[in-house]
Amino acid sequence: MKLLGKHLDKDGSGYVTLRPDDDEDIWHLYNLIQEGDRVRASAVRRVQNVSATGSIESHRVRLNLTLAVARVTWSPSTAAAGEAASFSTDASTSTSAPAHAATLHISGRVTSENPHVKMGAFHTLDVEVNRDVRIEKDEGGWDSIALGRVEESCVPGRGAEVAAIVCGEGTATFCLLSQHMTMVMHRLEVSIPRKIAANSGAHEKGLTRFYSALFTSFLRHIPYSSPTIRAIVIASPGWVRDAVFDYIMAEATRTGNKALLSTRNKFIKVHVTSPHVHSLVEVLKSPEIASQLKETKFAREGIMLDKFFKMLGADEMRAWYGPVHVALAADRGAIGTLLISDDLFRASDPIMRKKYVQLVEDARQKNAEVLIFSSMHESGQQLNQLSGIAAILTFPLDVEVVEAEEREAKEEEERRKQAEENGEDVNAG
Amino acid sequence: MSRHRDVRNINVADELDDGAVSDGGEEDLSPQEYEQLMSGLDHIRATVGSQEQSGLSDKEIKDTLYHYFFNVEQSINYLLEAQTRKIAARERKAAKEREKAEKLAQQKKAAEASAKLPPAKPKKATGAKLSGASTPVRSTDIRQLDLAGLNLDDETVLPIDEPPPKITVAREKVLEEARKQLEGNADKKTVSLVVIGHVDAGKSTLMGRLLYELGRVDDKTRKAHERASSKIGKSSFSWAWELDGTTEERERGITMDIALQSFATPRRQITILDAPGHRDFIPNMISGASQADCALLVVDAAVGEFEAGFERGGQTREHLLLVRSLGVSQVVIAINKLDQVQWSQARYKEICKLLRPFLIQSGFHPSKTKFVPVGAMAGVNLVARDGDEAQALNAWYSGPTLCDLLDELEPPTRDLDAPLRFPVANVFRTPSSVIAVSGRVCGGLVQVGERLRIVPGDETAVVKAIESEEERLEWAAAGSNVTLHLTAVDPRHITIGSVLCPPTDVVPLVTSFTARIIVFDIQVPITAGTSVELFHHSRDVPASISKLLATLDRASGTVLRKNPRSGEKHVGRGANYTSQHNRFWPYSPSTTDPLRAILCQQGNGEDSHSSWRRDNRSRYRNRIELSL
Repeated sequence: MKLLGKHLDKDGSGYVTLRPDDDEDIWHLYNLIQEGDRVRASAVRRVQNVSATGSIESHRVRLNLTLAVARVTWSPSTAAAGEAASFSTDASTSTSAPAHAATLHISGRVTSENPHVKMGAFHTLDVEVNRDVRIEKDEGGWDSIALGRVEESCVPGRGAEVAAIVCGEGTATFCLLSQHMTMVMHRLEVSIPRKIAANSGAHEKGLTRFYSALFTSFLRHIPYSSPTIRAIVIASPGWVRDAVFDYIMAEATRTGNKALLSTRNKFIKVHVTSPHVHSLVEVLKSPEIASQLKETKFAREGIMLDKFFKMLGADEMRAWYGPVHVALAADRGAIGTLLISDDLFRASDPIMRKKYVQLVEDARQKNAEVLIFSSMHESGQQLNQLSGIAAILTFPLDVEVVEAEEREAKEEEERRKQAEENGEDVNAG
Repeated sequence: MSRHRDVRNINVADELDDGAVSDGGEEDLSPQEYEQLMSGLDHIRATVGSQEQSGLSDKEIKDTLYHYFFNVEQSINYLLEAQTRKIAARERKAAKEREKAEKLAQQKKAAEASAKLPPAKPKKATGAKLSGASTPVRSTDIRQLDLAGLNLDDETVLPIDEPPPKITVAREKVLEEARKQLEGNADKKTVSLVVIGHVDAGKSTLMGRLLYELGRVDDKTRKAHERASSKIGKSSFSWAWELDGTTEERERGITMDIALQSFATPRRQITILDAPGHRDFIPNMISGASQADCALLVVDAAVGEFEAGFERGGQTREHLLLVRSLGVSQVVIAINKLDQVQWSQARYKEICKLLRPFLIQSGFHPSKTKFVPVGAMAGVNLVARDGDEAQALNAWYSGPTLCDLLDELEPPTRDLDAPLRFPVANVFRTPSSVIAVSGRVCGGLVQVGERLRIVPGDETAVVKAIESEEERLEWAAAGSNVTLHLTAVDPRHITIGSVLCPPTDVVPLVTSFTARIIVFDIQVPITAGTSVELFHHSRDVPASISKLLATLDRASGTVLRKNPRSGEKHVGRGANYTSQHNRFWPYSPSTTDPLRAILCQQGNGEDSHSSWRRDNRSRYRNRIELSL
């Protein structure tokens, strides 16, 4: 993403103009734009003119509109298209359109005067790649989280990507992992008859069919020769990954695909326990991947989430989750690592957002490590289900003891208040 | 009441009366001790059975536990001893008044047990009985079923409100016949057996050799396997090749998927499912185990090998827990490769001693666990114990051979009146290019000509033929492992894991449900959001836990804690699961196909299984969303 203009006041109001470059930038915009912001972007609108004679003339106008945001919707690029594509559809030779089409729709009322559109009319903006967007926020809108995201998204050359094929016998899922997103490009399912003792012809035929379908999908969906792809991971239980890798290489040699052959050393084979997409978490924390991608955000997320769960198993008093509990831990300065999902910052309630921003800022001030998980990754989705916020504490704290303390403090407060009131009564009397 | 009473001389009836009024001696226990006591009680109850079955009252168990300072194993041993002693004592001194009440129950039990033994009947040819189903009457039956299968009435809404299907004459006849066969009037009872154990324990080799000994494999194939396996330098795997059919399995010398074979012992027709031992293929093993009635555990006796399989992370332990939670209660333990330890009796005893407490802990009743020493490669003690190889074993072992033990396996009771449930374990084309599905009939009956609904999906298929052991059948009843040939269906509508059921009684599909789970040995506790894999029959669905509702007491089901933060080890709990990606999961709420499935926690490698059982109580049932 490119930062084209920025004008901020001290009170956190102002605007930022951005130009998204790819799908991931669209995701960033989705996380930046809150309800109530004003967004200016180019739009196409059908305008009707009624002439003096009463005839109606309608034409499309491209114009810049400013909206007061009422609703933002995001749909990831290929998840819908690739869902449950079976072998039969895949085998057809039709070349599908390039899969980059993450979309962001912003709807709301028009707030700026315009010759074509009336003030207060509704419009829905489609945010597209390479079209400028200006986001204007009210006082306090540009908090540290929002600015952090702008900064992060505008760092050039951040696009270290990993392609992953999670496969089992007969199933394969092709994914692209970038800093903030996991995109499921394609799902492949080929039914393979299971072996019948001593007669394995059908089984082996099914396997060959599966490998060749996998190879064609691989060519179509994985941009293996792209320089931004750091690694191509083949993950599976059993030995499917070896067979898949051997098949891909053999086919590349047979067809003389030099580009593919030259990427041979990018391939990493990882053992996982299940052939489903959620074992991507397992991929990211495997030593082979962790050593290669240590500095990338998503690998770090995977490792930290794993650490949290291990802590939960080993020492329950040092692993807390849930907004209420984490807030209590923060009050006591106990947070060592804060794991928080970006989902929470998208809360439509600005007070809620402010609360979480405060929590993150406090934690940072106390030298705690803060990881903002992207809910477009598997690890982020797992965190989301765990209420979206979790913390590894620096020292053990018993949830029940802390809750009891809180209760006591509250009662104390009430008693004092009551006493004060009584005292006033006495004084008054 | 004194704390140090003599547990051996307890008057049971008095104690029971006493216990009903007050909890007696438990009052002066600390809460911790009480908890230990209760958990111990549950453990023991799970092993010895309920009060009526075992003749042991809660009170007795509690006292024993107290006596042994809550050591479960010792207590179980003592109680089991006491149980046998009681039976013996009863026979001796029948006049004794105070044991009267208990005695009655015991006698009744004994009577029941003797009734269960199959009456020895003269043998008859197997085929004659099966071909009896009358064909002419069936046509009406088909028409009705066809009508139902046309989806004229909107059955997708809810099948509950529909009138029950009319039972035609043919159906009744078949039912009667099936019942006769199951009651033991037929020549041989059928039992299916899953072979489990740690990787390289010799499961496939044992099975290959056993098939050979029983004459199921001819010398020609055996020689061919011997030659081919020594060609690639794996001559020690030649016996396993009978079951490991694929090139990859043979090259790696490892079983990767279930192999199905069958053989006959004098009194049983046994279907064996040879399961893979490698932990990456646990899903396949579960698929096999859910088709089996009994289990054969193969243990490697070689020094270090047994320990490797039995330690944490070894499959000996894991498989036993899995098959038990899938409802298998009879297990035969074959201690293999004793030839590698010079047929040492000490080693055999040592292994038995290590395994026994674990089996009891896992919930196998000692009377249903049998041990047998074998040497699979040489074929010692499989069917017979003769020849030079067996000399060393004959010196100290005179018990039954493996085959004798398999001959004694008791098939569980089958429910024929339940609606048909046929989970598909394999889909393939026969050489004549007919679509065939194999699997086990989990409940009810299936007949040739019947129209069946395929779930999930909206398709139906007609059963063209039923095949078992290369023999054509007219019908198949619950408990049999068969292959169905289907027509009038596109093969892509059937996948491994689909369920075939009557169009009038469709299995409901769910995307989320409330279940009670039992957590085994896990490293990372379960929390809301934990990704799990759900295995049920041959289906394998990614899912996640949406909420932990409560931590439950394992036996009584009382709520210990509501909304727990995480699930600790070894505690049963109610939890709510949601399947991801909108993948439907067919399941049947009938009692015939007990809803046991295995959940496998993601990414923790070994030892991370938990099993769950959906609660049959209505308050849980109401929670399940039905969607179709």
